[in-house]
Amino acid sequence: MKMKDSLFKLWVLLSGSIVTAVAAGIFLYLFFKGFAVISPEFILGSPRGIPLGTEGGIFPAIAGSLMFGAIAGILGGALSLCTAVYLVFYCKNKKISSYILHALQCLAGIPSVVVGLFGYSFLIVGMRMPKSLLSASVTLTIMIIPFITIRIKKALEQTSEEQFIGSLSLGIPRGYTIVKLIIPSSFRYIMTSLSLGVVFAMGAAAPVMFTGAVIISGVPSSLSKPFMALPYHLYILVNEGLSVEMAYGTALVLMVIVLLINIICRLMGSFEDI
Amino acid sequence: MKDRREFIFRFIVVTGAAVSSVLVLLVFFYILGESLIFFRTVSFPEFLFGSTWSPLSPKPEYSFLPMILATMYISLLATAIASPLSAGCALFLTFNSHKKISRFILSCIDMIAGIPSVIFGFIGLVVLVKFLERHLHMTAGESVLAGSILLSVMLFPYMVTGCAEAFENGKAKYYAASQSLGVSKWYTMRKIILPCASNAIFVNMLLAFSRAIGETMAVMMVTGNSPIFPKLLGRAETIPSLIALEMGTAEYKSIHYSSLYAAGLILIITVFFIQLAAHRLNSAGRRNTL
Repeated sequence: MKMKDSLFKLWVLLSGSIVTAVAAGIFLYLFFKGFAVISPEFILGSPRGIPLGTEGGIFPAIAGSLMFGAIAGILGGALSLCTAVYLVFYCKNKKISSYILHALQCLAGIPSVVVGLFGYSFLIVGMRMPKSLLSASVTLTIMIIPFITIRIKKALEQTSEEQFIGSLSLGIPRGYTIVKLIIPSSFRYIMTSLSLGVVFAMGAAAPVMFTGAVIISGVPSSLSKPFMALPYHLYILVNEGLSVEMAYGTALVLMVIVLLINIICRLMGSFEDI
Repeated sequence: MKDRREFIFRFIVVTGAAVSSVLVLLVFFYILGESLIFFRTVSFPEFLFGSTWSPLSPKPEYSFLPMILATMYISLLATAIASPLSAGCALFLTFNSHKKISRFILSCIDMIAGIPSVIFGFIGLVVLVKFLERHLHMTAGESVLAGSILLSVMLFPYMVTGCAEAFENGKAKYYAASQSLGVSKWYTMRKIILPCASNAIFVNMLLAFSRAIGETMAVMMVTGNSPIFPKLLGRAETIPSLIALEMGTAEYKSIHYSSLYAAGLILIITVFFIQLAAHRLNSAGRRNTL
């Protein structure tokens, strides 16, 4: 009896400290290793060295990542918001809404690499689109639509139904109620879902690998130009054995961008509460 | 005027919903359509029970078996490593630390979920693989073991938050009563909280497993990628890695190309059924506890 209790105690304490240590370890490890590499030239320069990239310079990759993150976020966010609003407030046919929901859930479970495969052969090979910012953003948009829609839908369903019905019974039109009442009251969750989606898109390497990211390029000047992406750049640096040093720096920059977006959106949400 | 605005709003919403639905269906049917050539030419026993994957040899053989086994092996092992640690950690956070500290640790663990998988692959390569090479005297540390350990770390955030939620529910329901009867904290945790959350933990394990199956980059970077039958300390290639590695080289509309879509389809169907099972179990469990 005593034995079992203390074994149980040991298990709980041990696993608690292991998981916490691993979580802290990852952040600290990357931070210290990457911090040594980071300099203004590293962040703001173009790739240097032979082969290119071995002496740092990741500005085009940062710019590329932010650009496709923004495009995918805007496209995916708008479409997801419309879909979620339609499903919750407009769709009267139960069958249609359950079909859409099932399809979304099914796509949400699709591994990102399969979406990349689709983007590559449908957009690039099939429709003869050039490997570009646009093709990669569209692929990522498709990837994040189910991810964001399911979360926004959950948020919209949690808004007060009495308020909605009350507003309708006062003769206020449905669309006006949604824009002025429902969306502001769940703004926080919508923003967090959106930011999670954007972060998911920006961190994905597999889908952009064949749909638009290239090893070396400048900052893309238009939607039809190929671009550099941080995750793909990191993958190339590591996998081709170009430079582990620079990989630490790139990984840190990518992590910081992703975490910043995450934290800003969380903070925005908590301000809304006050 | 008002009516027209309403109409425009409605129009925008419906169009947006239609566009996303069409996109979703397009992806699904495209994958289905592209894999048809493969399913027509290669027989069922051949791609499921054959032994070699050699799409480019003069006598091509298409067997997914090594990759399917590798995917299952790595994902199962990762879930097996992650579950006891995450459940223990969740118990620790719900019962044994200060509320503010718990919340801080929980949000740190949650942040891990936002770290892109390439970064995990990179850390796995420079830390984990090196460690295995040094301490297990392996010639190459890229192995099923490395992949599973790395994957289990990536599963932590999902499993810890899921388990913590279940324990929190149990705590709210029974903890006060148990305490007022003079039962010790540890005994309550072991005999009441844990059994009452067991269904939720199992559902979490299923969801974690389905997540693990689809993970691409991190696993690809640390498992060595050889399409052979997996051994714990040997190289292996999972289905997502297979797709990511070969989609650039497969000839458009060839059987090889179609086989990658078939692999993707198998992946989707597997993930779908696991998630379906998890949702069923979840709602069944909810009904039982009420």
